[in-house]
Amino acid sequence: MRKAIYNSGIPENFKSVTCAFCRAARLSFAFLLVLLIASTALFAADWSASEQQLAKKIVAVTGLGAASLTVENRSSLGRRDSDIVQNGLRSALEQMGLHLLKSEQATTSVTVTLSENETSYVWVAQIQQAAADPAVVMVSVPRTGGSGVAYESMPIMLRKIPLWAQEGRILDIAVLEESGTPSRIAVLGGEDISTYRFQNGRWQTEQTLAINHPKPWPLDSRGRLVQGPDRTLTAFLPGVVCRITATSAPSSITCQAGDDPWPIVPFGMTSAGSDPAATAAIPMLVGFFAPTRNYFTGVLSPAIGKFSTVPKFYTAAFIPREKYTLWMFASADGAVRFTDGINEQTSSLTWGSDVATVRTTCGAGWQVLATNAGDPMQDSVRAYEFPDRDPVTVSAAVDFPGPVTALWTESHGDTAIAIARNRDTGSYEAFRLSLSCGQ
Amino acid sequence: MKRFVFHCLAVSSLTLATLAHAETRPEYGGTLRLTMHAVPSTLDPADSRVPDSFARRSLTSLIFDTLVVVDDAGRTKPGLAESWQAAKGNQRWQFRLRHGVRFHDGTPLTGEIVAASLRFANPGWSVRGDADSVTIDSEASQPELPVEVALPRNAIAKRDGQEKLSGTGPFRILDWQPGKKLTLAAEEDCWRGRPFLDGIEVEMGRSFHDQATALEVGRADLIEVAPEQSHHFSPAKGRLASSQPVELIVLVFARDSSSPDDKLLRSALGLSVERGSIQSVLLQGAGQAAGGLLPTWISGYGFVFSSQADLQKARQLRDQVQTARLWTLGYDGSDPLARVLVERIALNAKDARLSLVPTAVGLTDLRLLRIPLACADPWIALENVAAQTDLPRAQNKWSSAEELFSAEKAALATDRVIPLFHLPVFYAATSSLKNWTLRNNGSLELSNAWLGAAK
Repeated sequence: MRKAIYNSGIPENFKSVTCAFCRAARLSFAFLLVLLIASTALFAADWSASEQQLAKKIVAVTGLGAASLTVENRSSLGRRDSDIVQNGLRSALEQMGLHLLKSEQATTSVTVTLSENETSYVWVAQIQQAAADPAVVMVSVPRTGGSGVAYESMPIMLRKIPLWAQEGRILDIAVLEESGTPSRIAVLGGEDISTYRFQNGRWQTEQTLAINHPKPWPLDSRGRLVQGPDRTLTAFLPGVVCRITATSAPSSITCQAGDDPWPIVPFGMTSAGSDPAATAAIPMLVGFFAPTRNYFTGVLSPAIGKFSTVPKFYTAAFIPREKYTLWMFASADGAVRFTDGINEQTSSLTWGSDVATVRTTCGAGWQVLATNAGDPMQDSVRAYEFPDRDPVTVSAAVDFPGPVTALWTESHGDTAIAIARNRDTGSYEAFRLSLSCGQ
Repeated sequence: MKRFVFHCLAVSSLTLATLAHAETRPEYGGTLRLTMHAVPSTLDPADSRVPDSFARRSLTSLIFDTLVVVDDAGRTKPGLAESWQAAKGNQRWQFRLRHGVRFHDGTPLTGEIVAASLRFANPGWSVRGDADSVTIDSEASQPELPVEVALPRNAIAKRDGQEKLSGTGPFRILDWQPGKKLTLAAEEDCWRGRPFLDGIEVEMGRSFHDQATALEVGRADLIEVAPEQSHHFSPAKGRLASSQPVELIVLVFARDSSSPDDKLLRSALGLSVERGSIQSVLLQGAGQAAGGLLPTWISGYGFVFSSQADLQKARQLRDQVQTARLWTLGYDGSDPLARVLVERIALNAKDARLSLVPTAVGLTDLRLLRIPLACADPWIALENVAAQTDLPRAQNKWSSAEELFSAEKAALATDRVIPLFHLPVFYAATSSLKNWTLRNNGSLELSNAWLGAAK
């Protein structure tokens, strides 16, 4: 029932949830569905051993005779599982020779309460025989968890594809391609970068490279994993930049302290795009990140028009226009600020602090993904377009099991990575966010 | 050239007066003002002269760290220890220390300092340390030792002299006026990362009423709320949060029952207490009536112990005894809730023809105690209650739920204690304080809290 040993960093501690992989355009939905069903099946519980164990304890008290059985669920078990346990317990008791009667017909009554504590389900049977004090027997069953999804109807569908989950913090994930086919992922954690290859239906660890950093990371530490045009990987962390020498294992990592600016526009967006005229207007913007905080200092390179600095910000997104680019910054003071290089204005948008741009073949072709500023217990992301002036919501909100801790556009620019910290389990879960049209 | 007309942003959707703010990404800066009712005279987590309290646990976690932490799901996680391993049938535990950790005074964390800290907190433990690990030996198997070292009293402190304490936690002590005021500053090089808050100011010895007023007029950001007053807290004043029921209210007899008659009278008293009506009226619905020592969320079976009053049976038991002597019932005179509870219990007892005289002074026959449960681990929580009430200790520790139930049942069968209620702790904060939570031991978790704009 209890874990006696904890060794951080051992791969078994990674709780790999599921693996749905590949860019939406290439990946068949059926394959995704199979993987999601497979992952859901992991949560299906088998209660039979515990039912047998409790039945045996009950019969040891009642003997082989007749009794009534009442089952009450006061645990977090759903009705379905509760019914399964109740039926299984009835069968087990009858197989062991206990004849179950209605309560008015039996002199022995068995009341089973499905209860729980922090770590286990506790099933308690109170057995009343004649006027004697009730006997109490019980079993405990380790607890597990589950998940759910919901959608509402909107012109564009924002889809959340699970990529990876682990107990330790995830700062970013890069999906790596080989000959144009995604087959590996690189996970940027707080202390290392790990690569995994999808083989024989599961993720297998290839290599884990430790990140050396002279100072402790700031709280709410952030990081970004960037693939260059040559497929090399660079990890940007607060006050540290790490370069990985080769994308396929074995590779090595070189980290050095420094204030190298972080890229704000993925390289994939500055080259080919759906609208060459628009993409040509997007410069390769970089921003300086505060090494002991969780925000960009506001110093930009090159300048956006007349603005070489903006108020310190958490994330930035943009929408290309015909002759300029509209930039938006989720500022550290909570406001969202817009600039076109000439003017700057603070908006009243109720967005959260994470925004990212994606370029798709849907709608206006460019969408901004933004977290909400609402319920801190359950975060969500929506897609927006800027057809004229105000943002228009173009997708339903996709909910996350806890606060979104990172939202970065992927290298190709057509999808984004969202990391959320699960409120219930405390683990970090990484998702690819992709948009599909014509719903 | 005017590329973009910003009037566009100042139109339909504008509700300019209520500028919305992002919530998900924490902001750095600001000083949190916290008030509390307790008046701790020391910050030393292991000073056994000061009773355990939720306030003390909260302060400890701001300044100090433990080797291991237990999360809200009851799982052990690395704290100052990166890993740990058992040997010799759980009689020896070795904890490997995290590298690069320093105390607030700049001293590096070593096994020797950790060992000295643990020995101070647990004089009976055999602890030895070297440069980067610490080993604890015991004569009996201790499968739950990692959970035990996660208790606040086992937080690692470097003690230089009588008053000089240094920790490794997210905040360092700037100013300490025992029982009055504590000023903490963010530890810039904290191994867990610099906290978002720049500092915390703690005012102690404030009545619950004063605290509520301070929150209302903006002189405090985070306050305690008395359980019986939680019902009246208005959401307009801020956010109210409560823990699981982590406090046991219990009547404890000073001595074991001296005769069969005494045993009958104690049972009669237990049956006379109208826990249900006290919970609805005096506690205003807060907490749960308790028939057992551990609440169900910790044990899983707490509901098995009846908390129902049975006045008829109480009178029957009372009438089997010729003469019932008068009992004195002690309570903490500075605790208004304790006073109203003992007064009501005395009235209930009177209905069962028992004589109870409440008093806040002197030695008494029985006493109303409020015991903060040690943690969510049922064995450690039960052991802790047993230690504070002089109940017999469990023999077959760390085994099944059924063994735990037997141990608790045996403790109750001594008639030394009459469990009354399990109460949660309540805190309230302004809406500008974000990401503050309550741990399942009732203490505040503020290491990731931050101050943003009020909503």
